[in-house]
Amino acid sequence: MRDSITTARAGIPSIALVTDAFWPQGDFVANATGMPTVPRIRLPHPVAGSGEDNMAKVAADIAPQIISILTGAASN
Amino acid sequence: MTLLEARSEADALEQLHALGLTDGLPVVIPTPERVAMMALATGLDPDLELGVMGPAHGVASVEKVATAAVMAGCLPDHIPVVVAAVRAVCQPEFDLTEMQSTTHCTAPLIVVCGPARHQCGEVASGFGALGPGHRANATIGRALRLAMMNIGGARPGVSDMALHGHPGKFTYCIAEDTENSPLAPLHTSYGYGEEDSAVVVVGAEAPHSTIFTGDADDPESASRLLNVIAAVMANPGSNNAHLRHGAVTVIMNPDHTTVLARAGLTREDIQAELAARATNTAATLAHVGSAFYLDRDGPPDELVPILKDPSRILVFQAGGSGLYTMVMPSWCAGPHRNSVVHAKIDLDQACEVPWAEALGIGQSDTAEVAGGAA
Repeated sequence: MRDSITTARAGIPSIALVTDAFWPQGDFVANATGMPTVPRIRLPHPVAGSGEDNMAKVAADIAPQIISILTGAASN
Repeated sequence: MTLLEARSEADALEQLHALGLTDGLPVVIPTPERVAMMALATGLDPDLELGVMGPAHGVASVEKVATAAVMAGCLPDHIPVVVAAVRAVCQPEFDLTEMQSTTHCTAPLIVVCGPARHQCGEVASGFGALGPGHRANATIGRALRLAMMNIGGARPGVSDMALHGHPGKFTYCIAEDTENSPLAPLHTSYGYGEEDSAVVVVGAEAPHSTIFTGDADDPESASRLLNVIAAVMANPGSNNAHLRHGAVTVIMNPDHTTVLARAGLTREDIQAELAARATNTAATLAHVGSAFYLDRDGPPDELVPILKDPSRILVFQAGGSGLYTMVMPSWCAGPHRNSVVHAKIDLDQACEVPWAEALGIGQSDTAEVAGGAA
């Protein structure tokens, strides 16, 4: 979240990828840093160590959302 | 300051619990009078900013820290140590925001050094000093925790993501046993004079017991003691072994420091010896599947040290006489890799206040108190 906020503050479009278990912390950090609407996408938890097949599926699932947010077609 | 209203102290306590402003245990109700009195005891302007506490980026004013100290059950005598501890953890090198947010179980361990151990306490340094039964230790550490929660915004599962936490996150405070230690006072390692008082603070896990029986007839006794401490420091399951280059706390009991002093070792010697001995082989790290040890091209018997900098081993004497030294591993992460920080305890500013009056002690003799010695 902090990397995403720092990047966004630097004027570079960014999206935070936040797993389900850390979603409340993402909200907390976004609010605490004064950037409550910083874009973020919810991932299943856990992703790390879940195997290449699963990670590829997660990536395929969220790629359209990332493109959509970056191209301004949607916000999250 | 936000003021809540309540019909009684019991009602106020339930409100504070319901608002998530406690650590789960009962607190002393921070009435305006008590907070003002505690702030007055610091001798500082109540609005003075001691630092900023993440992850909420709350400003730790003297008044807010005094509120945490009242809630924790501190006496006004204790507040100079609490103020110093807050100043210490708010230094950028401590990485408080990251430390509060991590999934690791780290908690700030406060080591009280110098005359404040007596003037602001007694802060215990002997038998069971890390356990229950010592008011100053219990309340000073708890005050810092409540400040980290209520000013810094740490909430388990929301902003404090420690997977399990550890009991030291309720309170974690000990004094150095300077009078009985053959080592130079710990705070003099950080540039303070012996007559100064200071807190040394480091993020630490729970203490891991390390057993050793000295033998005055064994010329290798000191070496064997260093070996067993180093072995616990290099526990191949710990962050210290995997992430490396963090910090390690080593609290030696008087018998163990005697063994090392008899061998002519100073604190700096002990740190250097432990840093040299606390290693794992590359094969061991591969065996336990370290995802963080990436330099896998070397030979399997290559010794991988857990530390580069021996000064990151916090060595001091405390505890009762006996077989055990305590090793606290650490998180080893954050931009500053779990730095040791310190701050002076300013005793010149502190002033006496009528605390019993603020608590209402002696105003009624009709109360019945349950319990007592069995």
